[in-house]
Amino acid sequence: MTAAPDSLRQDGGPAGGERQEGHPAGVPAGPPWAARAVGLRKVFGPTVAVDGIDLDIPAGCVLGMLGPNGSGKTTLIRMLLGLTRPTAGTAELLGHAIPEQAAVALPHVGALVEGPGFHPFLSGRENLRRVAATEPLLLGRGGGRIIGAAVDAAVERVGLADAADRRYRGYSLGMKQRLGLAAVLLAPRRLVVLDEPTNGLDPAGTRDVRRIIEELHSAGATVVVSSHLLAEVEATCTHVAVLQAGSLVAAGELWALLKAGTGGLVIATPDVDLALRTLRAAGVTAYRDADRDLIVVAEDGLPAPAIVALLVRADVAVHEARRPSTRLEELFARLTEDSR
Amino acid sequence: MSTVVRRGEQGGSARPAAHGAPLLRLLATELRWVLRRPRTLVMLGVFASIPVLIAIGVAVADRSAGPRAGLIGAIAGNGLVLPIAAMTLSLALLLPLAVAMAAADAIAGESAHATLRGLLLAPVGRLRLVGMKAFGVLVVATLATTAIAVVGVLAGLIVVGDAAASPQLVTLSGTTTGLGAALGRVALVAGWTIGQLAAVGAVALAISAVTEHPLVVLAAVLGGLIVFGVLGAIPALDWLQPWLLTTGWTAGVDALRDPLPLDDMATSSLRALGYLAVGGGLAVFRMLRRDV
Repeated sequence: MTAAPDSLRQDGGPAGGERQEGHPAGVPAGPPWAARAVGLRKVFGPTVAVDGIDLDIPAGCVLGMLGPNGSGKTTLIRMLLGLTRPTAGTAELLGHAIPEQAAVALPHVGALVEGPGFHPFLSGRENLRRVAATEPLLLGRGGGRIIGAAVDAAVERVGLADAADRRYRGYSLGMKQRLGLAAVLLAPRRLVVLDEPTNGLDPAGTRDVRRIIEELHSAGATVVVSSHLLAEVEATCTHVAVLQAGSLVAAGELWALLKAGTGGLVIATPDVDLALRTLRAAGVTAYRDADRDLIVVAEDGLPAPAIVALLVRADVAVHEARRPSTRLEELFARLTEDSR
Repeated sequence: MSTVVRRGEQGGSARPAAHGAPLLRLLATELRWVLRRPRTLVMLGVFASIPVLIAIGVAVADRSAGPRAGLIGAIAGNGLVLPIAAMTLSLALLLPLAVAMAAADAIAGESAHATLRGLLLAPVGRLRLVGMKAFGVLVVATLATTAIAVVGVLAGLIVVGDAAASPQLVTLSGTTTGLGAALGRVALVAGWTIGQLAAVGAVALAISAVTEHPLVVLAAVLGGLIVFGVLGAIPALDWLQPWLLTTGWTAGVDALRDPLPLDDMATSSLRALGYLAVGGGLAVFRMLRRDV
C-alpha cells in the first residue's frame, strides 16, 4: 500500500487538446479533471460508507474503480453524480460543483449506476424514448425525429436491435444490462460512469462493453468503470483507484501501480533462515513466502544485484532469483488484504 | 452518433445548458407514460362503468317498484342527477384511491424501479421532477372524474328515456333547469371534485417522495381517509371538523339544489387549497433532499 502513488492528482491528466477527434464539435475544452472528490465522506447511521476520499479523475482517462463488496465504490459514484448528499466534503463534475451546478454538468454525463432501471410494461425502445425525452442535449427542430434517431443508434450500438420492441419485462439479465448501456449512450458524453457494466453479460456482451469503452475513450470521453472483473479492468483501463472499507488505498496510472507492485525479488533457496538473517541484517525487508517453503521474498532496500551478491557471499545457495510479474489481481489482493 | 448538440452549447460565450429538456416535452413524456400504464387504463374503465352500474341498478329497482328515497332514488326520475351522484359516491373512496395509486407510482414507484435515478441523471431538476409528477397525478384525477361525469351524463339520459326528449334537471328543491344549465352544474361538480382530488394527490405525492414502497403511499392515504372519517363522526371532536379534508365531501350534492348554494363547495375548495399547499410544499422539500 505504501508503494502505490497517493492519488491520481499526481498524474497531471491530459489537457483539453487531446480530445478533439470524434468529440461533439464546438464543445469548449473542459477542465483537466473530469471529476474530483475532495474529502468526500458519507455516513449512514453508525456505518461510514466513504471515509474522506480525495480523488481527481483526469479528463480522457479510463478509470477502473476496484474494491471488495461494500468498500464504498457505489456510494462514491453516487455522491459524484449528485444522487446522494455527502456528509462532508465536496464533489465536482466536469468543473462544476455538485450538486449545486448538476444541471450544467449532468447533460454531458452518462451513468449506469446500481444496475439498469426501466419500466417492465414498456418495450426497450419505449423505455429509451422516455429517457431520451429527458436528455437536454437531444434538442432541435423535429425533436421526435432526433429522439427516434438517437434511440435507434443507441440500440444498434449495444446490439439490442432485435429485442428493442419486446417488453422489458421479458428481458434477460444481459439484455437489461445492454439496455442500461444504451441509455448511457443516447447523447454525446464527456464523462461516462459504468457501475458493474458486465454484470450478467455473456462473453460476447463483455466484449461489447470493452469495445464501447474503447470507442468512448478514443472519442475523448472520460470513462469510470467499477468492476469486480480485474482482467476486464486490466484490459481496458488507463488508471486505477482501489477502495477498501471506504478509503482510497491506491490510485494512479495502471502501469505505474503495476510497476510499483513488482518491487520485490523472489529468491528460491534451501537455506531460508540464513537468507532471512543475512538480508535483514543488511536492512532489507524480507519474509518467508507463506505458501512455498523454499522461497524468500525481499522488498525495498537494495537493488537486485546487491541482494544476490550479499546472499552468495553469505554462502546461501541461490537457485533462482526473479522479479514477479504482478497481475492486477495480485496487486488488488495485496492492497485490500494488507489493510485489513 | 447521429445526435444534435444544443446550439447554445457552442462557443465559449454561449449560455450553459442549465435548463434541462423543455418543460413541454417532459410533460408530454409523463402523459405518455401515465396513459400507457395498463393499470391507468383499467382504472379509467372501472370509473366509466360506475355510473352505468348505478343506472342499471336504478332501472332494475324501478321496475320492481317500491318507495325510493335519497340521492339514488332521485336518479330514477331524473337522469342528470346520475353523474353528480356517481361523482359524490366515488369521491368517498374510489377516486382518492386512484389518485393515491398514481401518486404512489409517480415517485415511490419510479424509485422502486430504479428509474428515478435515470430521471435525475438526465438531468431533470428535482423541482421540475415534482412538477412533472404532479402534472401526471392531476391528469389521472381529471381523466377519472371526467370519465364518471361524461359516462354519467350519457347513461343518465338513456336510463330516463322520456327525459331524453326534453332533458332537464329536476333539482332536489323541486324546480327544473334546462339541459345547458344542468350540464354546467355537472361540470361545476366535476371541477370541484378534481380540486379535492388534487389536495389528496399533493399529500400522496409528499408521502411518495419519502418512501420507495408504493404500497406505503396507498396505505397512508386510505388509512388517513378512514381516520378522517372516524374523527369527523365523533361529536366531541366537532372542533376538528373544519380541518378535516373529508368534511366537505358531500358538498357536490349542493349542485342539485335551487338556488345553487356555493358556500360549502367554496369552503371545501379553500380547505383543499390548504392541503394542496402543505402537501406540495412537503413533496418539494423532501424531493430536494432525497437520496436516490
